[in-house]
Amino acid sequence: MIWRWGIFLWIAATMTASLLWAPLVPVLGETTRVLYFHIPAAWVTVLALGWSMIHSALYLWKRDLHHDDHAAAAAELGLVFCIAATVSGSLWAKSMWGSYWNWDPRETSIFFILLLYGAYLALRGSIEGDERRARLSAVYSIAAFVAVPPLIFVVPRIYATLHPDPIINASGKVDMNPAIRTGFLCMLVGFTFLYAWLQVLRVRVSRLERRLAI
Amino acid sequence: MPNGASSSWPAVWAILRKECRSEWRTRYGLNAALLFAVTSLTAVTFAAGPLPDRTDLLSALLWITLLFAALSSMSHAFVRETESRTLLMLRLVASPTQIALGKLLFNLLFLGVVLAVTVPLFLLLTAAPPVRWGPFALVLGLGSVALAASSTLVGAVIAQSRSRGALFAGVSLPLLLPVLAAGVSGTRAQWDGLPVGADARLLGAYAVALFGASLLLYDHLWED
Repeated sequence: MIWRWGIFLWIAATMTASLLWAPLVPVLGETTRVLYFHIPAAWVTVLALGWSMIHSALYLWKRDLHHDDHAAAAAELGLVFCIAATVSGSLWAKSMWGSYWNWDPRETSIFFILLLYGAYLALRGSIEGDERRARLSAVYSIAAFVAVPPLIFVVPRIYATLHPDPIINASGKVDMNPAIRTGFLCMLVGFTFLYAWLQVLRVRVSRLERRLAI
Repeated sequence: MPNGASSSWPAVWAILRKECRSEWRTRYGLNAALLFAVTSLTAVTFAAGPLPDRTDLLSALLWITLLFAALSSMSHAFVRETESRTLLMLRLVASPTQIALGKLLFNLLFLGVVLAVTVPLFLLLTAAPPVRWGPFALVLGLGSVALAASSTLVGAVIAQSRSRGALFAGVSLPLLLPVLAAGVSGTRAQWDGLPVGADARLLGAYAVALFGASLLLYDHLWED
């Protein structure tokens, strides 16, 4: 309970401070505000995908369905955050680039990840038996994770992109106004804890569902 | 058949020969892939006409045709075993990795035949500009390895699910989109006289990563 209120207050306070106190970036104008929502959502998307892959590997090693619960919960939540990152990015693209979708390499990358999550969940839904579902989903999840580094790190660096530089750029520095950086990092922490809380809840629900099914 | 390293390749070779023989008897998968490739090529060239100057469109159409021709039938190698209930017998004589490697080699051969028919036909029907054979073959070859590695692994997973045919393309495609992106870009670059190094490296690295992950995962495909 205390976690829920803590996360809610943290995100609300950070959002308010970021919108009222932090300055706008000259070229981006009012669209700067999407940064506090879009990048943390994209970060959680990748974090959830990584968490899902780690627990898939752990499942194949330990054969404990608890790891499968974690992998499935991370994929479901990752899909939600991926949709949030895609939609917020698309709204930003409309005001900055003139259209909602441009197949820019970074837009393409996040869309591919959305498809990966969707395919993983569709696959889970089509396999009968807890053990078999867990095993085959884990195999797919690990294979799918192979596609993530090329999509996120290689493709946008090979093909021309209009997307602003990633937060940590090629020179390894964070190019941000200190106030914007503070707000952004606080939102990143808030979103990470929000994801962790939702993950714990979803895993608990999965365990209850299995217990009720028995 | 023992599963030791010294007897691995004979087992893989035996699986490959068995796959080729089964396919040759029915030619179900090959006919489906070739028919799909030829009909989609006909539809594309009939609708768009000759496209000698549009290398962007040509490269996209070529890869889309190849990708879907492959996806229309590449799960067949495993689905056939499940439907005819022969997988258990196969597992008695070879390890999961040997079975999967044999089917991967078969899928590579299969793709080679599809490419040998589809690519010349595509170049002819679209009146495409002359290709630079070295870079063109490099991009096609690396793309085929990635395509076969992904299709073999996903095919083995899908064969154990409820909706095999419908799910295969949907589950395979997200894994193959980097191949499609790099394949289209590399094919276009070779037509435009540009270097294909970056695309070839991406395709090669992705093919190696997928193949490496597959080798680690094959042993977990069948346990029940």
